[in-house]
Amino acid sequence: MIRFHLRALVAVPWFAVSATPEQESGDAPSLDDVLVGEAVLGVYRQMFAALARDGGAVVDDPELVDVAETLLAAFADAGEDGLGREQMRYVCRRYPAEVFENRLRVLKSLGAIREVFPKPNQLRYRASFTSVVGLMFVRRMMLDGGQSEMHRLLALEQLNVADPRMTPDQARAGAEGLARAFRLWSVELLTLTNGTIEELREQAPKLWGTEEILIRAERLHGAILRRWPQLDRTCTELRAAIYAYGDASRRAAARLSDSAGTTRNLTLLPPETWRTFARTATRDDLAAVLDGFVFDAAAPWHEPAAVVTAVEDGPRTTPPRPAPPRPSMPDHGLSDETGGDATALERLREIAEQVLRGRDRVAVEEVLDRDWVAGRRMLADLSSVHLHPELPYRLVWSDGLAVRPDGSPTWVSPGVFERTGP
Amino acid sequence: MSGDPVSVDPDVLARARARVLGAPSIPVSAPVPAGLTAASDDERVWLLPAWPDGATPAVLEDYQTAPMPLDRPGMTRRVLAAALRCCWTRLDDAPWPGETATVAAVLEVYAGMTRGDAELARRWATGELRRLADTGWLLLDEEAGTLRPGPRVAMWADDSLASLRDLLRRLPQPEPLAEPEPEPPAEPEHLAEPEHLAEPEAEPLAEEAGAGE
Repeated sequence: MIRFHLRALVAVPWFAVSATPEQESGDAPSLDDVLVGEAVLGVYRQMFAALARDGGAVVDDPELVDVAETLLAAFADAGEDGLGREQMRYVCRRYPAEVFENRLRVLKSLGAIREVFPKPNQLRYRASFTSVVGLMFVRRMMLDGGQSEMHRLLALEQLNVADPRMTPDQARAGAEGLARAFRLWSVELLTLTNGTIEELREQAPKLWGTEEILIRAERLHGAILRRWPQLDRTCTELRAAIYAYGDASRRAAARLSDSAGTTRNLTLLPPETWRTFARTATRDDLAAVLDGFVFDAAAPWHEPAAVVTAVEDGPRTTPPRPAPPRPSMPDHGLSDETGGDATALERLREIAEQVLRGRDRVAVEEVLDRDWVAGRRMLADLSSVHLHPELPYRLVWSDGLAVRPDGSPTWVSPGVFERTGP
Repeated sequence: MSGDPVSVDPDVLARARARVLGAPSIPVSAPVPAGLTAASDDERVWLLPAWPDGATPAVLEDYQTAPMPLDRPGMTRRVLAAALRCCWTRLDDAPWPGETATVAAVLEVYAGMTRGDAELARRWATGELRRLADTGWLLLDEEAGTLRPGPRVAMWADDSLASLRDLLRRLPQPEPLAEPEPEPPAEPEHLAEPEHLAEPEAEPLAEEAGAGE
């Protein structure tokens, strides 16, 4: 069945080739018409790029295909007699004369329309059956794209695999062809994924029905492998191509839905479609869209978040500064206790009197003659007493250093603690 | 060609009026035409556009369409914030209809928010107040020297207000109005709590307010 398609492809180039007709009819084509025509031509060019001799040899006006179709339909009605030249012209009376002449010449030269008998001055012509089939194929491709053709190919190949007359070589050829198609398809999807989002959106139909295609392709792969285990190498290629296609289409779909999420534009229709709708819709259709709506006079809108941003970005009275470190405990500010506390003074005086025990002066080493833990606390208290401006005591140190290896402070300087005033 | 009065549907006429005038007000007793949102206090109803699916003009940003241009959007919005600080005293409620505040208090709050010459700031802010009143964001009574929130604030979606409430709690407080406050116990307790929570930011602002007064 694949071979059938290939034959059809070979048979079609008659309408794929033409000379350019300067067709400037009364109404000038709009930009939209050009866009639509360009899209159709794109399908033709893609399909027959492998067959065209050079770029200029492909039809550059979709209408030229209509000429061919009209002619073929007329031939089908005419029966075995075929059509004469004048009849053909009559059938194609809608088209300008030079367009018709052009088409006829190209179709004849490519064998889609030939003389009934191959002899000179032949006036009656007949059309080739293959060309009609090819045209049907082309029309179908245009209608639903390469996508559904892939579905058909997979289904047909599935039938072929079940066919007892199928040889391993044919199966291998089929699997290789499919693997190549899947590879190219995934490459195209990858390019789209990395390209602009508008282009991806426009080509979104290429992503439809992916799951089903994957399931079919894997089923086919399994069938081939079961019947001809010796084709495992080819099948590995096919499997890799199928997975690559699955990954690419998933990634493209993810990008598409991502962008739809941010723009809230869930309609994937290209802008041309909207424009066409706007041009072709009736006045009632257009009005119905806006039924019940009133457009507000232009007024500024202040979103709450925008107000917050404006205040936070605005100039401040003081430059922003880092917040000072704060304790995690509640802080009551500065303490009211100052140095002039009577109780502390009393305590120190008590200690001093305790040390002096009525005397006017006492040697420091005598006071410290106890274990060092208590002694050092006493020394600190005596120093406080000495330094306190209101207390009439002082510490007087003299030169010298007594080393006492066995003593509790192992060394001590001689000094006295004495009373200075009353 | 002055138009046949019989053939004009009053509903259509009211909508056209609302469209031309921006946010007009009608008496409470008058019917609200279809296709408009109504924001009402007790006496009048303001007719506002209705948007589909709860969208606001902020959606323009998603479509990368320029919104209506403003001369100084930052300053306008800061003045609006200052006005709301004075008029929207019960922050747990909706901003609409709010309460009446004096223009002087709003100017004072605004001068406390910004840097530079306070007198100049007040003059700028007066202009912005008029502009906000023209576009329906404030209801300004220049003779009485008072203002209220405009009907457009009624179109703010409630779930978008959280950050604005936080901001207003942090702004310097207006001077208390001469008239007695309606419910003294309710106000301080709900104001005091968030300020305690937001202490690090709230404190410098409070100092500024003290310095400004």
